[in-house]
Amino acid sequence: MPVAVFRWKAVVPLLVLGTATLGLWLLFAEPIARRAAESVGTTLVGAEVEIERVHLDLPHGRVEIRGLTVASPFEALQNLLQADLLVADIDPLPLLEKKLVIDRLTATGLKFGTPRRTDGRTGGRSDGVIGQVTRWGEQLHVPALALPTGKISIDRLDPGQLDTPRAAAALAARADSARQAWDSQLKGLDVAATADSARQMVERLRGAKATDVKLLGDARRTLGQLKQAQDRVTALERAARSGIAALQAGAAALADAKQRDYATARGLLKLPGLDAPDIGAALFGSAAVDRFQRALYWVELGRRYMPPGLLPRETPGPKRARRAGATVRFPREHDDPAFLLRTAELSLELAAGAASPRTYAASVRGVTSDPALYGRPATASAAAPGFRLGALLDHVRPTPRDTAAASLAGVALPSVSLPSLPIRLEPGVGTMALSFSVQGDQVRARWTVQSERVRWTRDSSGTAAPSPIGDLVWRAVSGIPALEVSASLTGSLTRPELGVSSNLDRAIAERLRAMAGAAVAAAERRMRAQVDSLVDGPVNAVRDQVAALGGDVTKQLGAQRAQLEEARRALEQRLPGLRLP
Amino acid sequence: MLLLKLIQSLIKTLHSEGTPGQVAAGLALGAILGLTPLLNLHNAVVFALIVVLNVSFPAAMMGWALFVPVGFLLDPAFDWIGRALLLETPALRPLWTALYNAPVVPLTSFNNTIVLGSLVFASALWLPLFFASRWGVVRYRATVAERLKRSALYRTVAASKLYNLYRLFRPEP
Repeated sequence: MPVAVFRWKAVVPLLVLGTATLGLWLLFAEPIARRAAESVGTTLVGAEVEIERVHLDLPHGRVEIRGLTVASPFEALQNLLQADLLVADIDPLPLLEKKLVIDRLTATGLKFGTPRRTDGRTGGRSDGVIGQVTRWGEQLHVPALALPTGKISIDRLDPGQLDTPRAAAALAARADSARQAWDSQLKGLDVAATADSARQMVERLRGAKATDVKLLGDARRTLGQLKQAQDRVTALERAARSGIAALQAGAAALADAKQRDYATARGLLKLPGLDAPDIGAALFGSAAVDRFQRALYWVELGRRYMPPGLLPRETPGPKRARRAGATVRFPREHDDPAFLLRTAELSLELAAGAASPRTYAASVRGVTSDPALYGRPATASAAAPGFRLGALLDHVRPTPRDTAAASLAGVALPSVSLPSLPIRLEPGVGTMALSFSVQGDQVRARWTVQSERVRWTRDSSGTAAPSPIGDLVWRAVSGIPALEVSASLTGSLTRPELGVSSNLDRAIAERLRAMAGAAVAAAERRMRAQVDSLVDGPVNAVRDQVAALGGDVTKQLGAQRAQLEEARRALEQRLPGLRLP
Repeated sequence: MLLLKLIQSLIKTLHSEGTPGQVAAGLALGAILGLTPLLNLHNAVVFALIVVLNVSFPAAMMGWALFVPVGFLLDPAFDWIGRALLLETPALRPLWTALYNAPVVPLTSFNNTIVLGSLVFASALWLPLFFASRWGVVRYRATVAERLKRSALYRTVAASKLYNLYRLFRPEP
């Protein structure tokens, strides 16, 4: 009996089930969309994204999001932003391709930096982009301001660390070996034998006939031997003079080695940082690095989720009980990007915590997951009295170019505790500006803070204990009414250079120099004396050795030369016709 | 309770009036549900096939239940297969690009390495699984089934109320 292929009686229950599923989906579409938006947003930002309610009006292509809260990926108990209402006009057709194209988004009631009750950060400090940026920030050297005691301590000077005794010992060994070599060469010359032979010839010539041709030939040979001996002495003298000059240069170089040893010894002095740039970096370096890290975080996120080019892009798959895997996007020219926000009009509320928060308008354009498809850079801008913002993320070309600049006047600046000192700076209301530009791997950034009326307070609640240096710094800064901080970042992202300066630097440095100058000089004198005691003995000994060697060699060679000269003169007197040229 | 249902389903499936082919087809279709991530559009199609085609519904449910843990275990292999197909086979890139930019198809999440890898694996396994399970059912019915039918356990299970529910979806002759 043939078996039927279809189970027709199940078609109706299947249709009922399908209809019921569709009905349930429509019923729960808004919670599903809310959870999906929260999940995607949390993954993108690296911090909790919470939404109170989502209203979908798909027939009219409109989505409303109420009560959006985005936690800060940097601060534990702070929100990055909150929005009362977001209304998005979406293009429904791309939804069939799982793409989201928002023609226009309006956001009202945007507030920044509001407090929250729970830690909204999702990743550890070593994970993902935040970990990458944290590691990047760690390479920016922020010097510590080690001033709480102001004591100048001196580490033990190890003679093994000094160059001069080693150089002196080496020079002494060279002088010894030179002396041995020259002595051996002098002996090899055998000047005494040559001179004796010449004297004997003179004696023989005394009673000889002028016609004794053989004797005359012998005398001529003796005279030639004298000449050769003189030449050898001259050559040895030249070599000795050059060798002695080299040894004397070595002895003179010991003075340089001693200077280096003084520098080494000075390095053992633990002095408070007295250079103005160091003080600026120590006081405000961490705050500057924090600002630059935050800016770089958004740039890196932009580069991760808005990459240039049209190659397939791999992103982590959706969270589920099964392994997430990777989801790969395949952008194609002339098609819609996976995500596109054409325009957004934002109503911002800055200084939300202040008594009279101000409202500004800003606009964002061209934010897309595939800038090469959209063909235009993403931009953001806002301008209002006392507030300026401009940003451009150009990922259309192969080398991404990200620039942003913002300044805000009349903003309550956060208070700063001076590191290691019981002093707190309340900058009050001032102007803060940040510009950040990354082109490829090259970064150029600047962060400035200005305040005309700052207030200084002694911070007795902090961990820093009172100290003479603390009092000194307090006297230096407490009379300063204004604050000007400027931090810059240049170089490549892999090797950035941080520079920080402020008007407090010079004031503090001058006071510190005045107080610490005398103590530093005394400590340096002590260190020099210690170096002298370890170095002078060997140096003087080797200098004496070199001087003595020079004198001895010169004296011996002079004597040899005189002996030969005398013998030659005597021989030539006997034989005027044999005078040599 | 779940275990009891599974045993009940297993016994009744093997002893059902369905042909070995119906049982095997149901089991192989259910295996697709178990091997691939469940909440995906392609599984709606597979479920519709299980319901509409005259295959053993309990066998499909049993196949699903049996292959869910297998799916979890094989996820690394699925990821590897999906990655190889999506990212490391340039010849297939025009196909994926066309599918990714076509309506509805991206809703299947075919561009996820686990989904694609598991679906390709399950599709490749379908025929071997169908033939193997059909042979197994034939052998079972010829050897063990009659003895089991006389056992107390079988009579207990067959007498339960669930049997009536099962009859709704039992294969038609």
